[in-house]
Amino acid sequence: MSGAAIETDRLSKLYPGGHGIAELTMEVPTGEVFGFLGPNGAGKTTTIRALLDLVHPTSGSARLLGLDSRRDSVAIRRLVGNLPGDFGFGRETTGRAALGLLARLRDAGTDRAEELAHRFRADLDRPLGELSRGNRQKIGLILAAFHRPDLLILDEPTGGLDPMMQEEFLALVAEERERGATVFLSSHELDEVERICDRVGIVRDARLVAVERVPDLLGRARRKVSVRFTDPAGLDELERIDGVSDVARDDGAVSFRFAGDLDPVVKSLAAHHVTDLEISRPTLEEVFLGYYGDAGEGR
Amino acid sequence: MRSPLASLVEFHLRERRRSPLAWGLPLGLMSAFIVAIYPSVQGALTEVVEKYPEGLKQAFGIGELSNVEQYLHGEMLSLIVPLAVGYLAARAVASDLSGAAESGRLEVVLSAPVRRSLVCLGAFLAAAVEIAAVLLLTLVLSLLGSVAAGSGLGVGHALAGFAAVWPLALVGAGLAVVVCGLSLKTSVVTGVVAGSLVAMYVLDLIGKLDEGLDALRYASIFKYYGNAIETGIDPVAFVGLSAFAVILAIVGMALFERRDLSL
Repeated sequence: MSGAAIETDRLSKLYPGGHGIAELTMEVPTGEVFGFLGPNGAGKTTTIRALLDLVHPTSGSARLLGLDSRRDSVAIRRLVGNLPGDFGFGRETTGRAALGLLARLRDAGTDRAEELAHRFRADLDRPLGELSRGNRQKIGLILAAFHRPDLLILDEPTGGLDPMMQEEFLALVAEERERGATVFLSSHELDEVERICDRVGIVRDARLVAVERVPDLLGRARRKVSVRFTDPAGLDELERIDGVSDVARDDGAVSFRFAGDLDPVVKSLAAHHVTDLEISRPTLEEVFLGYYGDAGEGR
Repeated sequence: MRSPLASLVEFHLRERRRSPLAWGLPLGLMSAFIVAIYPSVQGALTEVVEKYPEGLKQAFGIGELSNVEQYLHGEMLSLIVPLAVGYLAARAVASDLSGAAESGRLEVVLSAPVRRSLVCLGAFLAAAVEIAAVLLLTLVLSLLGSVAAGSGLGVGHALAGFAAVWPLALVGAGLAVVVCGLSLKTSVVTGVVAGSLVAMYVLDLIGKLDEGLDALRYASIFKYYGNAIETGIDPVAFVGLSAFAVILAIVGMALFERRDLSL
């Protein structure tokens, strides 16, 4: 087996409607937590489905854990855990019934599942249709991870989870990495990605536009800064600081966007009497807009 | 340890455990009612039926109605039970394939190390068991109706009549696997199967009504279905229809292996 848990070579899946993925080439080393980011419809779920042989690529190839995604798909699925983006298993099915089926299909025990259910406070005995989205998601996570897979593929894993369970999820991912498993997750949640991912791939309009380490991605992201002064005069030097853009003044308040080293900005602001300061973290969408522009061009 | 196939079939049967009751009870009660009223309507029926045109009687499988078996065939087994159970077979298959795709279950099941064709085979076999359970319940209730009213329904005749429905309904299951190989929308799957069954019934009817169009009947599985409650099961037709259903299921599996599993 090579050192890569996932390797794709110009993997494409084209749909008549235009969505899909095009020429996706990437490598996720074994043991890495890799975030796969992008807006809705960018091609994240299609990529995951192509990796799992649920959809057949139009061209290109993929290898998971050293095995061909198409030829060896059954063998791959023995080693992989998957949480689909919109997890469901039928409204009347209980989590325990779903777990029972998957445990038999995988020839795996359910001890770990019980442990995870306790940890996530998941109710395995109620029909899934009676559970909230977050509680259903917990069942999905348990079904994906209970057999201790070598590769965990998670599509929007924390959707619907409350903050405490999100923390529990992050701890679980950290433990999986510690165990040597690879985690490939798609997400909209930049906070989540920042905390657990080693690297991220950004997909936009069906194409992988960047693969970066998380600190690099965030370091270049433009933050939105709003400052209120007692005297807003004499702020021209702010516009000259490298990384500052979109400066707007409004009755004693100044707002601007900023990326890069924060120190010169702080020093510039410190020369004035600041009454309020707010720096907001960019959303994933803003990171996109900040780094790739509306046309989605690479840096 | 159970095999993956046995696990899939068992899961299906557990999930659809109410189906035999939901389908077998109304069909069985209706059949029991038909059987139970036979002694009281026999005379009047004979008079009415004697006045029917011969072609019409032949087309709808209505004999002289001189016994309860003929009456049960004409009222239930010639059309209602085969169409209902054939449709149920399609629904049963769809619940494991297109319905499972719609609910998200299929993607989770296929994240486990099982071939798609095995999932299709499990759906087909489970449907076969489910329709057998429905037919058995319908048979039992019909016999109870006969005992209660003293209609004299022969156990062997009734068994043959309901058993003959099984391979016909199984064709519905096989056809459903084929349609699932082409579409993962349950409404399409059940619609195509129900439409096909009705169309084949009509073809058979037209062929019976007009001798010049008799060849049309070869395109209908109802030609081979016959009237087992009176004449007994035709083993060739029984095995032939079952084999046809299996062939359809195999074609469906091949289509399902090749298709994308996205709605």
